[in-house]
Amino acid sequence: MTSVSAGYGALSVLRDVSLTVGDGEAVALVGANGAGKTTLVRTVCGLLRSRSGRIVKNGTDITATPAHDLARHGLAVVLENRRLFGELSVRENLFLAETVGRKVRGADLRFSWDEVTDLFPVVKERMASPVELLSGGQQQMVAIARALLLQPDLLIMDEPSTGLAPKVVKDILLVIKALRERGMGLLLIEQNVGIASEITDRAYVMSVGSIVHEIGPGEWQSFLTDERLVKAYLG
Amino acid sequence: MTLSLVLQALFAGVTNGIVYALVGMGLSAIFKGSRVINAMQGEFAVIGAMMTVLLMTKSGWPYAAAIAGGAVAGALVGAFIEVAFVRFMARKNASEDSFLLLTIGLALTLSASVLFFIGRDGHLLPPLGGEGVLIVLDAVIQFHALWLIAIGIGATLALRAFYHRTTVGLSMMAASIDADGAATTGINVGHMRTFTFVLGGLLGALGGILVTPLIGVDYQLGLNLTLKGFAAAVLGGLTNPLGAAVGGLTLGLVESLAIIGISSSYKDVVAFSVLIVIMILMPQGILGRAGRRGG
Repeated sequence: MTSVSAGYGALSVLRDVSLTVGDGEAVALVGANGAGKTTLVRTVCGLLRSRSGRIVKNGTDITATPAHDLARHGLAVVLENRRLFGELSVRENLFLAETVGRKVRGADLRFSWDEVTDLFPVVKERMASPVELLSGGQQQMVAIARALLLQPDLLIMDEPSTGLAPKVVKDILLVIKALRERGMGLLLIEQNVGIASEITDRAYVMSVGSIVHEIGPGEWQSFLTDERLVKAYLG
Repeated sequence: MTLSLVLQALFAGVTNGIVYALVGMGLSAIFKGSRVINAMQGEFAVIGAMMTVLLMTKSGWPYAAAIAGGAVAGALVGAFIEVAFVRFMARKNASEDSFLLLTIGLALTLSASVLFFIGRDGHLLPPLGGEGVLIVLDAVIQFHALWLIAIGIGATLALRAFYHRTTVGLSMMAASIDADGAATTGINVGHMRTFTFVLGGLLGALGGILVTPLIGVDYQLGLNLTLKGFAAAVLGGLTNPLGAAVGGLTLGLVESLAIIGISSSYKDVVAFSVLIVIMILMPQGILGRAGRRGG
């Protein structure tokens, strides 16, 4: 995305934000609460119209693409708080992604139903349960599975670790690593830089609606050990 | 009070209750899918019934075709209202009270249009299944009432199957549970809201067509049915169309028992007093929390 600005009503949240995720690359977006990370996600995935700037995916301008058409461009998102259909069963949640959401057919299929459910044994066991009866970690797995069924080559995840026990976070990180090995691109929005540094190559640091710092490939360690930087940007 | 009188009242209660249920199911389908409290739900009944009357008398359509035409008219008007008004207001993040004002305005406009174009007179439709009656323990039951009950139950079951067994129905539920989650799963949330109004219009029209052989249709029928349908929907928990079916039956039965137990002039007083008591005791609706779940 290039110089994107966005906001709500009179409030402008994103100011002139530019960032890039390469093919199969894993990039993190870190920043304190209220930095505008979630607004950025909502803008990229078409839930919020940008006020200026361009968003391009594989050469196609998707700035004005509505959220429900993103899968056509190989983009899927796991929103903050997962946003599952709590009263519907796990199977129904996934079924909707598989039938309504999936826009590619046949040879372009990256994740079949069986592959996705094999990736998440928990999901398989609880197929018939209403999603709202699952634990937070299990729900996160369902949310990731639902996004994968849209056949993305770039997955955006907003705060997947929030509110989960360390053990569960570890399981989710394992899944993300497995996806990366299959060449999945990743834009990870995280408050927890420890987690972000573990699975991404580089990162953007956001503060008050702007990108204020970039962490290049191999620079995670030096960033994390520089207390002054961490304090300044992440509070 | 004789047994046959009670039986007669129960039967009348179920018959009216199913009409309230159909209107209420449409109302709660629309609320569930769009958060719009549709104060013109009863007008769908008037549109459906009047269209059926006109198609039969003016265009000479056979009854069955005219009924289908009336139901389609309700569905089309529902779609029109979403596309022409609700969609634009929703895009501007209109509040629930603005939507309420919109539908109240539409209700008055439609009622006035019927008065202007069709006139003050009431119209009847022939009873389904002919004029025949069934006598059970001295209670007189019209064939039409049996048809009405069968169609009402059929529509309720079909609605449930639609929500749980069809992709469109599931998508509509998903969009109503979490619009952002649905959009990012590939569901066109705007289209689902249009379908919701189509469904609401269809159910309302069906209720109007079925009740017309019993009480006739005129320009004033809409408001009355909206109130009864709204009570049915609230009793059922408002977001659950099947709850509205239970709510409608409850309302119909309480009403007709009030008629034989007290007096027909007090039936609304008694019926709505009972509703108030039910709502105080069961603020989540008759089905409780479970009633909020699913279709």
